[in-house]
Amino acid sequence: MNSPIDIVVCLKLTARPGVADADERFAGVSPADQAALETALVLAEHSRGSVTAAAVGPVAAELALREALACGAHRAVRLDAPSALDSAEVARQLEGVVGDAAIVVCGDYSLDRGSGSVPAFLAHRLRCAQALGLVSVDHTGVVDRMLHVVRRLDGGRRELLTVPLPCVLSVEGSVARLRRAGLRDALAARTTNIDVRPSAPMAAHAATAVVTPYRPRARTMMSPGDPDPLARLRALTDATGSSTRGETVALEPGEAAERILRSLREWGYLD
Amino acid sequence: MMHSSDSQWPEVSFEERMATAHFDVHPHAHIVVNSAVCADCTSRECVVACPANLFVPTSDGGVVFNYEQCFECGTCYLVCNQEGAISWSYPEGGHGIVFRRT
Amino acid sequence: MSDRTQHAANPDVDVDVIVVGAGPAGSCAAIALARAGFSVVLLERGPFPGSKNMYGGVVYPRILDELIPRWYDEAPVQRWITRRSTMVMTDTQAMSIDFRNDAWAAPPYNGATAYRPDFDHWLAGHAESAGAQLLCSTTATGLLRDRSGAVTGVTTDRPDGDLTARLVIACDGVNSFLAKDAGLYREVAAKHYTLGVKETIGLPKEVIDERFGVRGREGVDIEIIGCTSGVNGGGFVYTNLDTVAVGVVLKLPALAAQQLRPEQIIAKMKTHSAIAPLVEGGELKEYSAHLIPEAGLSMMPKLATAGLLVAGDAAALCLAAGIWLEGVNFAMASGMYAGQAAAEALRRGDTSEQGLAGYERRLTETFVLRDHRKLRRAPALVLSDRVQHRYPQMVAAVVERMFRVDNPDPKPGLRRILAQERKRAGVRRRDLARDGWAGLRTFG
Repeated sequence: MNSPIDIVVCLKLTARPGVADADERFAGVSPADQAALETALVLAEHSRGSVTAAAVGPVAAELALREALACGAHRAVRLDAPSALDSAEVARQLEGVVGDAAIVVCGDYSLDRGSGSVPAFLAHRLRCAQALGLVSVDHTGVVDRMLHVVRRLDGGRRELLTVPLPCVLSVEGSVARLRRAGLRDALAARTTNIDVRPSAPMAAHAATAVVTPYRPRARTMMSPGDPDPLARLRALTDATGSSTRGETVALEPGEAAERILRSLREWGYLD
Repeated sequence: MMHSSDSQWPEVSFEERMATAHFDVHPHAHIVVNSAVCADCTSRECVVACPANLFVPTSDGGVVFNYEQCFECGTCYLVCNQEGAISWSYPEGGHGIVFRRT
Repeated sequence: MSDRTQHAANPDVDVDVIVVGAGPAGSCAAIALARAGFSVVLLERGPFPGSKNMYGGVVYPRILDELIPRWYDEAPVQRWITRRSTMVMTDTQAMSIDFRNDAWAAPPYNGATAYRPDFDHWLAGHAESAGAQLLCSTTATGLLRDRSGAVTGVTTDRPDGDLTARLVIACDGVNSFLAKDAGLYREVAAKHYTLGVKETIGLPKEVIDERFGVRGREGVDIEIIGCTSGVNGGGFVYTNLDTVAVGVVLKLPALAAQQLRPEQIIAKMKTHSAIAPLVEGGELKEYSAHLIPEAGLSMMPKLATAGLLVAGDAAALCLAAGIWLEGVNFAMASGMYAGQAAAEALRRGDTSEQGLAGYERRLTETFVLRDHRKLRRAPALVLSDRVQHRYPQMVAAVVERMFRVDNPDPKPGLRRILAQERKRAGVRRRDLARDGWAGLRTFG
């Protein structure tokens, strides 16, 4: 009844934070990427599926792939490309590897704390469902090709999602702790063949996004008039309050996008 | 003894000193201290000798320890005079101190 | 090349030889064995070779001539030592014997400063190219033995982590839990160890060149006695390309008894007028610490038992003899000889203790144990209270009076100064004579 499920996990090897040495000895994958690998392995175990570990980057990226193989990934693919590609380009490169895999799992952030936008670009390219920034993935639904996941929202809220396959997931580091590779698997992974593919020709971008460092907006606050200090503190910090800024609307995708953009403009996030 | 340029020596705080070393911390401690034994110890060799200052005496006569910033040198268990007070092993492979310019 | 050495000749074991620890000893053992055609697994508990290693700064790699000809063309060294100073200091004085040798700035060189995470990583790369299977992030937690007690492999901290072999070489460092597990150490006592603590201080290369009077890749190593705030030990300052390393080596029981913390002892040493101008204005790049097996022959374990050889720091093969301070070369040499002796034993099919006797024989015939035998009294002498505390005072006082010019008093005779300062320092003539004789016998 259920066909085996192909899962792709995307890993990014980068220098550790605070390390100037651009040296593979000091490089690693983020806890989120490790959690993505563990999630992929568990989903595969529950669906007789297979896991392909994929990385875009120079030969050093194979360190991450060999670790994935040691932990139980069935094969590894490296797209030979320079390390400094933007998210859209990385997603474009990964698209060919993903093919018709049922699930793609990514970490929500790499160790160099990029924008975390590769999974969204990838889902867009694949025209499939996406569930990003997950704090929990329930593997039981995988056999029914339906995943039950929990997503983090602002203000400590959670969103329970049911995601149909095929889908792209991105997970936080807390979702799972990566298993430790067995001795024989780790030894074998040293020499396992890694499928190295030339990168697809770079796309000529129609629009180029300018990425600037994050600057919080200044927010004008009215001085709270309440004589009670605790009440003033609450008014200033929202500490106990129910925020009224959130709003749930049900619209068609195109209208929803328009609405989001309008709200962002109103709140001052966009010009 | 003090050199005249002493003022040019803002000796870094111990936290800053330890922040120069990189540790890939494992969730499980590789040092275990038997506080029952330490409560009877007056010499407290580990407190003085540990280069990472991981052993801290408490006001109630005990010793608390951290394992996160351990250089894995072995000084503590060697200087300890109390049988069975410090159990010490290496952290799980791949974790712990990662030297760079040593 | 690695295909040839993937599988052990004996199907009952996973691999011919397991080498534990990819430091200088382990990598040299693995190179020797892999080149001899044996399958070797080289286990390293750090994420990469060298990541757990720290030392007092100078490596003497000439022993590598045998394994890696023209090693100096490729080894990742910081500077070649062309200036070697020995300094005796008191709180307010310092006397140096400073030697400079231009020949040490050219091949085959003599000593070099290097970062161990670079040097050890490089050396382990040679073991891999020779065919050894390097596996990092894997701690060997114990030994496997057969019914007769012979070592047949190691346990590791990975799942399904037992690995069997015809022979194990323990190069697992100063704390060698494997040598202890095998019962090769008679006694493990704090008195046999010193603690090395070090600061790596960043300064621009031009500033270092100017302060230390060197150019290009020339470097300086200064070994110091009397700089450890009364704790028996010594200190060092040496140059890397754009950092200066400053550190102290402290006898463990003395450190524990003194109620002074290691970093305070370095801090005080750095304020000394002989040291401060060398390092001031620099930024602390890395603080580090490591133990040193300091006691030489008197602590040395049994070097072999059935199925097991021990090399490097794990075998306490570290020479801490005052004017000579060497370790990495002893590690590389003992590792190489362990590898050669292991290959010999495996070819004969005899890895019993007798079958492995070629290891100790090789060490005895070369500098490795000859230096240790010859200098067996040195560690105790150098770390003795008189050498540590009284002689620096006495020497500095004598030299001060020799060079002091206080006209109109005539210059006193040297013999009288010596006698007076010996008394003032509280040194008995008998002890001075005895230490002098011991020093002559040891170093002469």
